[in-house]
Amino acid sequence: MLPSNVRILPNGAAGDPQTVFYHRCTIDLARGAVDIRDLPCRNLEEVLGGFGRSFQYLAARDVADAFATENPMVVNTGLLTGSNVMTGLRTYFSAYSPLKVSNTGLPAAMWSAGSGKFGTKLKWAGLDELILENKADHPVIIVIRESDTGPQVELRPADHLLGKYCHEKILTLYAEYPDAHFAAIGPAGEHYNACYYAAIALSTENLLKTGDDKCRWAGRGGMGAVLGSKNVIGIVAEATDRIAKLSPETRALNKEIATGPGSRKFREKTRGGLGGTWANYEPLEQFHMVPQNNFRPTGDGKPALMFRDALEDDFVIKAESCYRCGINCHKNIYERKADGSKGAFRAKFDYEPLNLLSTNAGVHDPDEVWPLVALIDHLGMDSISCGTTINYVLDYNARHPDAPVFNGATFGDADKIRELIEQVGTGQLPDLGQGSKRLSEQLGETAYAMHCKGLELPAYVPDTNPGYPWAIAGGHMSMATYMLVAMEGNTSLDYWVQAITERGLLVVRDDLLGVCKFAGLNAEVAARCLGDEIGLHVTRAELLAAVRRAFIRALWLERKQGYTRDDYTMPAQVFDNPNPAIKAEPFVTREFFAALSDRVWEVFDREIASLPPVEDEATG
Amino acid sequence: MQRQSNAVRIRLPALFADRIDGTSTVEVTATTVADALRALTDRHAELTPLVWTGDSALNPLMILFLNNRQLVRSGLDETVHPGDQLEIIPAIEGG
Ligand code: SF4
Repeated sequence: MLPSNVRILPNGAAGDPQTVFYHRCTIDLARGAVDIRDLPCRNLEEVLGGFGRSFQYLAARDVADAFATENPMVVNTGLLTGSNVMTGLRTYFSAYSPLKVSNTGLPAAMWSAGSGKFGTKLKWAGLDELILENKADHPVIIVIRESDTGPQVELRPADHLLGKYCHEKILTLYAEYPDAHFAAIGPAGEHYNACYYAAIALSTENLLKTGDDKCRWAGRGGMGAVLGSKNVIGIVAEATDRIAKLSPETRALNKEIATGPGSRKFREKTRGGLGGTWANYEPLEQFHMVPQNNFRPTGDGKPALMFRDALEDDFVIKAESCYRCGINCHKNIYERKADGSKGAFRAKFDYEPLNLLSTNAGVHDPDEVWPLVALIDHLGMDSISCGTTINYVLDYNARHPDAPVFNGATFGDADKIRELIEQVGTGQLPDLGQGSKRLSEQLGETAYAMHCKGLELPAYVPDTNPGYPWAIAGGHMSMATYMLVAMEGNTSLDYWVQAITERGLLVVRDDLLGVCKFAGLNAEVAARCLGDEIGLHVTRAELLAAVRRAFIRALWLERKQGYTRDDYTMPAQVFDNPNPAIKAEPFVTREFFAALSDRVWEVFDREIASLPPVEDEATG
Repeated sequence: MQRQSNAVRIRLPALFADRIDGTSTVEVTATTVADALRALTDRHAELTPLVWTGDSALNPLMILFLNNRQLVRSGLDETVHPGDQLEIIPAIEGG
């Protein structure tokens, strides 16, 4: 029954995690030593996987510098990764982040997740988790291969990959390992010291087939920079495809995922969907909540220039997908030839990267936008952090026309923005590459630097989301409060306390399980699917309690790294200069936020204090 | 879930289901789309702010599908029949 390497002993259940074992490989990169073993789980969070497990590993470490050798990188999967459940493709990269830092300067634990087929191949090669310790003394790739005696792991030189774009590295590796899938950093990760928001690219079948840059990304928090700091340029997971027989329950579930209400938002219009995250533009624009000119909507109607309909004449837009996924959430744009047919691939347009490199940068011509989106991907950077940091620079320069920084780029200067992207992604602009928190502190103007706790905000205005500071791994992926004002319009304190402490945090559930949020599983279905597909019988309540503990443990871990209440705040512009163009009551005042903090911490402090202790890992 | 014959089936995405203990399908007796939604929020008052605005109009950020066909906003008045399937989907979601 099990599609994974996780072994559940007879009668094993959520109540007895010790009866569940997973396969971990630890590599000491400095010595080239490899250790593979089965480990029993200590709690349900470890059974589920993802950051539920990796953060417990990180918690046992004292790390003062994200690039120090003592910062381990945990590459792992969720219980449903590699299973037959549609979207069960996630890989998680966890480490102390160079970007997410407390005011004391200490790095905080972070994870970043991506789809593609790498995680599935990693599982099929025989591993649930890979831990990278120390640092290789020269650039290497890690090659993991299945064998009759279990996974074989070795380090190989990576000199031939250096300097190549992410997808070029992957294609080079593909020629060498045709049965494999890949994780790789780009030039940005190679220059990790000068680009803290370097990302990790994950291969898709579409990329390997077409040669186009159609990677999926573990983008947030600079995990590509940490991998680069270890001199690991790529990871190869080679295994034959091991597709288990589809059970009737999972078949029914997959049909529901591919055609039901949960994924409708992300499916194509021609398949009864709403067209993907890109389609956020229209509803948000109704409220003038589409970020413009560094998160300052103007109400001038310009966001409409990036509506999908506005681009249909000039581009062919195609919905494509990861391995065996029927949601097809990738909205890829191609040149439209004179005869109307599809020409060369241009870029993938998701709402967040698209907005941050177009409307929010004052660039409204799609022909100027797609090269920016594509270049960030080629160089291997997180488009949210890179875009938001550059937007800060554009804003700074607009405010200081007589003393601009870098190349003087300001809103709408597509050529200069392109130059900044090129330079930061190749390590030439370390001040820009350190992210908006440090840069704004250096420039002495922090009020409009759009980050919380060092992580740049995604493309949802902070004026309507006082939940941002409690996100533990990126503003929209780990605290689902970014759309609530538009959706429900409730600005009362009680509502927001509940939104953050009861509902918003549970969005991280899928970052333990190994599935995409786009599958839209509700907690009841997710719990049932663990039983049907994996044989792990948990109730909805047990699942949610484990997710909650994982979230609370992440807050505890932030505190361990020096976070105090002062770190949990918003860009000051939100408090001091509300934007009258936004069609919503400006409610995030300093007084409101202080009261909200008191109430939120009352809940979270109590739970942090009562977190069950975690025993040391079993050794031997 | 209580099954009723002659019922209209309302299928709910996780945003809704997670607010009502994981209930992802609710069956109601109704003659129009608006009736069906009202029956839904009568039974699950927690969903009212997601479905209706303060002045009882359909939340502008919710999109309705009846038997897989997207409804325009005036579709609230459409007649529904036993066995019909209604979905209510939020227009904003990131990822
Ligand atoms: S929902 Fe999108 S990202 Fe997730 S597996 Fe499907 S196609 Fe890939």
